[in-house]
Amino acid sequence: MSQLILLAVVNGLIVGAFYALMAIGLSLIMSLSDVINFAHGGFLAVGAYLAYSMTPYVGFWGGLLIAPVLTAGLGLLVEKVLISRVYGRDPLYSLLLTFGLAFIFEDVTRYIWGAQGLPYQVPGWLMSPLSLSLFFLTGYRVFMMALIMVVVGALFWLMTRTRLGLRIRAGTLDLETVSILGVNVRVLRNLNFGIGIYLAGLAGVLAAGQLGLQPTIGDSLIMPSFIAIIIGGLGSLTGTLLGGLMIGVASGLATVFVPSASEAVMYVMMAVVLLVRPQGLLGEEGRF
Amino acid sequence: MTDKFSFHMNRRTLIKTGVLAGAAQIASPFVRTAWAADTIKIGVDNPLTGTYAALGKNEALGMQMAVDEINAKGGILGRPIELSVEDSTSGDAGVAVQKARKLIDRDQVSFIIGNINSALAQAIANVANEKGVFHVVPGGHTDSVTGSNCHWNTFRVCNTTSTEANSVATSLIKNAGKKWYYLTPDYAFGHSLQAGLEKAAAKLGGEKAGEDLTPLGTTDFSSYLIKAQAANPDVLIILQQGDDGVNVLKQAVQFGLDKKLHLAGAQMELEVQLGLPPEARVGTWVFEWYWNQPGVPHVAEFVAEVRKRSGGHVPTARTWFGYASIHTCALAAAQANSLDPVKMARAMQGFKLPPEIALMPDGAYFREGQNQLIPNLYVGHCQAQGKDDPEDLFAVEEVVKGADVSPTLEETMCKQDWPA
Repeated sequence: MSQLILLAVVNGLIVGAFYALMAIGLSLIMSLSDVINFAHGGFLAVGAYLAYSMTPYVGFWGGLLIAPVLTAGLGLLVEKVLISRVYGRDPLYSLLLTFGLAFIFEDVTRYIWGAQGLPYQVPGWLMSPLSLSLFFLTGYRVFMMALIMVVVGALFWLMTRTRLGLRIRAGTLDLETVSILGVNVRVLRNLNFGIGIYLAGLAGVLAAGQLGLQPTIGDSLIMPSFIAIIIGGLGSLTGTLLGGLMIGVASGLATVFVPSASEAVMYVMMAVVLLVRPQGLLGEEGRF
Repeated sequence: MTDKFSFHMNRRTLIKTGVLAGAAQIASPFVRTAWAADTIKIGVDNPLTGTYAALGKNEALGMQMAVDEINAKGGILGRPIELSVEDSTSGDAGVAVQKARKLIDRDQVSFIIGNINSALAQAIANVANEKGVFHVVPGGHTDSVTGSNCHWNTFRVCNTTSTEANSVATSLIKNAGKKWYYLTPDYAFGHSLQAGLEKAAAKLGGEKAGEDLTPLGTTDFSSYLIKAQAANPDVLIILQQGDDGVNVLKQAVQFGLDKKLHLAGAQMELEVQLGLPPEARVGTWVFEWYWNQPGVPHVAEFVAEVRKRSGGHVPTARTWFGYASIHTCALAAAQANSLDPVKMARAMQGFKLPPEIALMPDGAYFREGQNQLIPNLYVGHCQAQGKDDPEDLFAVEEVVKGADVSPTLEETMCKQDWPA
């Protein structure tokens, strides 16, 4: 039993890191632009499908490199043309807009690539388990975990060590002052949205490696990401990362004891956090 | 000036259009009646979006093919038929019911077809029963639809979960072992399928090594698979369908579980297999219809026609369900020589589908008193790549007669509520 629990915890960390990757993108957009991006799952699907279409020409690695960048490009465009128009209005506007976009993404994906699920293959040598006893640790999952750590590390570096990152963080705290100080807020929000969508695209390509490629691939992944943000606290990237890892582990442990509650346990955690510490574990007070 | 002029023109055009539209509104009931007298409408309330979109699309193709065939032969009772199609969504019973009411009340359909989702199928059945409309279920498997909640006017062309479970149990116990671990989707279909398998296995001396109910829409099955492996079963029974089915199989094979134990289940679809990478196309399953049936009359023609319409893809069981559903409506009207739902339903009691529609070695018939189609079932294993065709992903080992594996009428607990 204790071995089973240990396996569930390690496995939960892997799953949680994936949730965190999505959630950090969502959290970036939410913090700076006050937009709850329901279309995040749609962008994820686009990233995955682009990689699928690209693989015959550029291979798995090429797809992994290029598809998220293209998805980010699409994100920049969507932000410029549509989302930037609802800034400063009641959050309901952006909620409805991104909600509608999510449906459009799903249908367009279905129109282009078909409703039938597609097999997306990662290189064979990544697919085999590392050892017999740790059979759930496939090369791909270890690689996924390592890549997520690198990307999240790079993002933290960007946020703390570069001018863009400092401006984004400052904007999160007080956008008006940042604007008065001469920073072009439009460009700032646009780039920030692009970074968030890049992470969604990357999550999409990584997800396609172990899930089926379906137009609805983003749907079931988006709720855990929202929960990760609420648990970790809005405005705190470390919090979001922590939130993602926590729900991954909690969900894994629930599978050992009460399997049918593996999803419900995330919501219970969210409810408890909202009751005891509404701003989230590492969030600032008054933001939510 | 030009702007002003064009505005006036636009406004006039607008007013004219408005008047015309108004006139059309007044005239339209007459127009519609005249048109409706000619055309018989079949309402389709099936998923076009969401998880079951791929299945819904294949059923729609089969339905349209049947409509074209029927119209080419003079339609139903000498009148052409057409489909009124609505998207039921993949899981919202409220929407499905609303669409069913719209099809029946506003579009005045003579038949209603739906649904792939068992819960939605049951909801539509209840509306169809209340309105007294002839209803065909093209793909929701839960026992109750033609069991404890059956209706005189609801016919089903896909199998019950019990029948599917019984068809595969014997072969699994014999070839793979007695200790089974169940991974079951946590909703009516999954519960009903697992109960059927447990019952069938118990009769044959099988035992349960464990079970896990997985929430619908689970993406990561690794924790469940770790647990299942720890229970050390002979067979891992996978009952997830659609996206969940693809995800669990893909992950089980990545973990190498297919080499340690036998993967199996009671229902597999070609749509799921096509969404899997070749190495994950493994295990023992039941197909409800399969396209590669050498020697069975009319199957080759059916496959060729579907290929023409689908850009070269073979028909799946879903294509056949759609096809058989529409033909069931046409046959009912022809048998009864009427569109009266009660007469049609009576005419279909015990009715055997003609071989060019059944497309199975032993044919298929609607069981009297239950309206459930009793067809052949195909037990076999999945294969990475077909020998002659890239979509030949299933090797049939045994064709089971539905009559041998269906629960008896008493066991189904169906009591039909015929109108007085």
